Amino acid sequence: MLRVWMALLLGSGVLAAPAVQAQDKYPSRPITIIVPFPPGGIADITARSLAPGLERVLKQPVVMQNRPGAAGTTGAQVAATAPADGYTLLCHLVSISTLPEVDKLFGRPTVFTRDQFVGIARINADPPIMVVHPSVPAKNLKEFAALAKKRANDMIFSSSGPYGASHVPFAMFLQAAGLQMRHLPTTGGAPAMTAVLGGHAITWASPPALAAPHLQAGKVKAFVTWGGNRLTQFPDVPTFREQGYDIEYYLWAGLFTQRNVPAGVLKTLGDAVRRAVADPDVKNAFAKVRTPIAYQDSAEFKAWWDKDAERLAKVVQRMGKPEIK
Amino acid sequence: MAETFQNLLLGFSVALQPSILVYAFVGCLIGTLVGMMPGLGPLAGISLLLPATFGLNPIIAIVLLSGVYYGAMYGGSTTSILMRIPGEAASVMTCVDGYAMTQNGRAGPALAIAAIGSFIAGTFGVIGLMLLAPTLAEFALRFGPPEYTALLLMGLFILAYMSGGSMLKTLAMAAFGLMLGMIGIDVMSGYTRFSHGLVELGDGVGIVPVAVGLFGVSEILLTAGAPTAPDVQRPKLRDLIPSREEFRLSAGPIARGSLLGFLIGIIPGSAHIISSFVSYGIERRLSKHPERFGQGAIEGVAGPESANNAAASGAFVPMMALGIPTSPVTAVMIAAIMVHGILPGPLLIQQQPELFWGFVASMYVGNVVLLILNLPMVGLFVNLLRIPYSYLYPCILCFCIVGTYSVSNSLMDVWILLAMGAIGYVLRKFGYDLAPVALGLVLAPMLELSLRQSLAMSAGDYAIFVTRPIAAVMFALGAALFVFSLKPLFGKGGDWRASVGLDSEQG
Repeated sequence: MLRVWMALLLGSGVLAAPAVQAQDKYPSRPITIIVPFPPGGIADITARSLAPGLERVLKQPVVMQNRPGAAGTTGAQVAATAPADGYTLLCHLVSISTLPEVDKLFGRPTVFTRDQFVGIARINADPPIMVVHPSVPAKNLKEFAALAKKRANDMIFSSSGPYGASHVPFAMFLQAAGLQMRHLPTTGGAPAMTAVLGGHAITWASPPALAAPHLQAGKVKAFVTWGGNRLTQFPDVPTFREQGYDIEYYLWAGLFTQRNVPAGVLKTLGDAVRRAVADPDVKNAFAKVRTPIAYQDSAEFKAWWDKDAERLAKVVQRMGKPEIK
Repeated sequence: MAETFQNLLLGFSVALQPSILVYAFVGCLIGTLVGMMPGLGPLAGISLLLPATFGLNPIIAIVLLSGVYYGAMYGGSTTSILMRIPGEAASVMTCVDGYAMTQNGRAGPALAIAAIGSFIAGTFGVIGLMLLAPTLAEFALRFGPPEYTALLLMGLFILAYMSGGSMLKTLAMAAFGLMLGMIGIDVMSGYTRFSHGLVELGDGVGIVPVAVGLFGVSEILLTAGAPTAPDVQRPKLRDLIPSREEFRLSAGPIARGSLLGFLIGIIPGSAHIISSFVSYGIERRLSKHPERFGQGAIEGVAGPESANNAAASGAFVPMMALGIPTSPVTAVMIAAIMVHGILPGPLLIQQQPELFWGFVASMYVGNVVLLILNLPMVGLFVNLLRIPYSYLYPCILCFCIVGTYSVSNSLMDVWILLAMGAIGYVLRKFGYDLAPVALGLVLAPMLELSLRQSLAMSAGDYAIFVTRPIAAVMFALGAALFVFSLKPLFGKGGDWRASVGLDSEQG
């Protein structure tokens, strides 16, 4: 309730702020981070964990604004059309690369494009883990792939939604292994996990934090991870590269802003994020949600993001769209 | 059993600490206030409060949030009864008979029965959670898409029992609701449907702006269009307390609603929304005087209100026993404990006994707090009706708009609210029931998704619905219900449905 009023007050404040203020030393007023997902998700938790650290460095309030909708499109659109003054940031996930590709695939007008944004920093990058229902008669990825080949288009994998952050990596695997499996899309990470736990699907590409408690309790088994290196938390789970597949995928979160933000402001923001991720309280907050910081500064992130996006675009194009009969 | 008792003592030793008691109280209070804001329901309430809990310890965080959760469930019923504004989908049915009771001058008893029903159902739910959580949770996992489809189809058959007036009009309204539910991105294929290029419609049409618009805004418009302003009510103290007869009539619906709500609540998915619709349908069917429904039947308040509160507790079963959020609300609560470094999962109850048992105990405490908080407030709330309509209604309209906007900062929701208000006004002028629209809108996306998920699992083979035992039994029940509801179409002279309307005749 209080927050509603605060948001209203802040909102009117932002509207009333004259444009000349942009000439002042940055930052001279509160900064908004737009989170294009509902509270409680990974983008939300990332931004919220980072915000106090940014506030300490920038000496200005950092306000979160959740603008969920259309799998992260609505919030991205809002951030893309915000004034290029560095007061509106966007905390988005890997799907910022795939959403425009999916629009292209379906022949829809693109709502936003990647080049409307500039990356301030990558904050974290966790590879998903392939978790499998214990009833599946396979002990490792090799046996699993053999089984899936034998029972072509008979085994079911789940995902958090079509072309979403857990469907794309699974499609990468299926494309690389030349396999066919049935797809059971759901409406989020938790429902996908539930489907596998209940045995309605046998596997999905789960974020490690979501899989950890169920692995620990022996409700699912883990065969492989999409990362370049093994996860410290699960040293026994091999990577796809070790298993001879040339695939790599991360569920990463990054901080973005509008492309035309002045270079000086960008530098201030970049420095602020670098110092914030080194802040012990921020580090502790990320450790608690089992999402390790994998920081990259603006330049590193740009090179890495371009490569990642190019790879994902190809996967999405190959996935194609379902035929309508 | 002895172990459970011991654990519960541990829980109470946590929950009765003064600091935690204060938070339980604050949570219930905030929740009630949030729930009373038109458009803001439990989900919006706890989402807005979530960041504030990050600095607290995990037990306090979850006690506070669960207080907000059931406080908001209850608060939503207050506005439904007094002003015909549902705070969320679960209160839609309460609007129908609760508001009719208000118009009959029985607002006090309606509020009191809603509070008592919620208390009993909530307590029943906690007992269920405490004793049966691990067992039930494993069972709930066996509910996959085919079982879910069967459950939702049963929900659809209930429509036939909800309907008043002409069956044709009811089905037309249900179809309208189902059509609204088709808008947005198709979750199975990724295609966008009927969104006309509006990105905000990608997620479909939300139930809250639709319900608030159809029920609340249309009521305001109707009042404004009435030739003379309705009399301002001056409730007397005597009218605040339910009569002996009203207590007697409510006992059965509360008991049935509690059991039904709890069972529906534990099933993964958002089926808890339909618990209040199902309860209403059942009560109407069982009633000896079904024609009273829609005219201010206390059973129509007692049943759905109990069912939605029991479902709220039921939703905690899979969350606590398996660490799986089965609804958006529990997803936010899981996030609230995750940021404190606790990973909810199958081992949570063993690894964090203070958290689980403290939570259980705090729910007992919270339900009592809610009852003592709300029973005395009934008098206060009812006195809101003394405000002349020319002042009250503009304020309510403002709150509706602010509340709807603040849920996801979306102007689109406000436009939907206003458009639905206009549509609701016209439909009510022509004597259509609006509840089927709400049920249709709630059911359409869930039913379509689960049906197509089932078929994706079976590669298009419909046999999946009869080869899985739970689904088969539920389909058989549903089919029986369906045949039963068709009877009056072929029988001579129809039945009671021909002579009564769900909404009192307007205009």
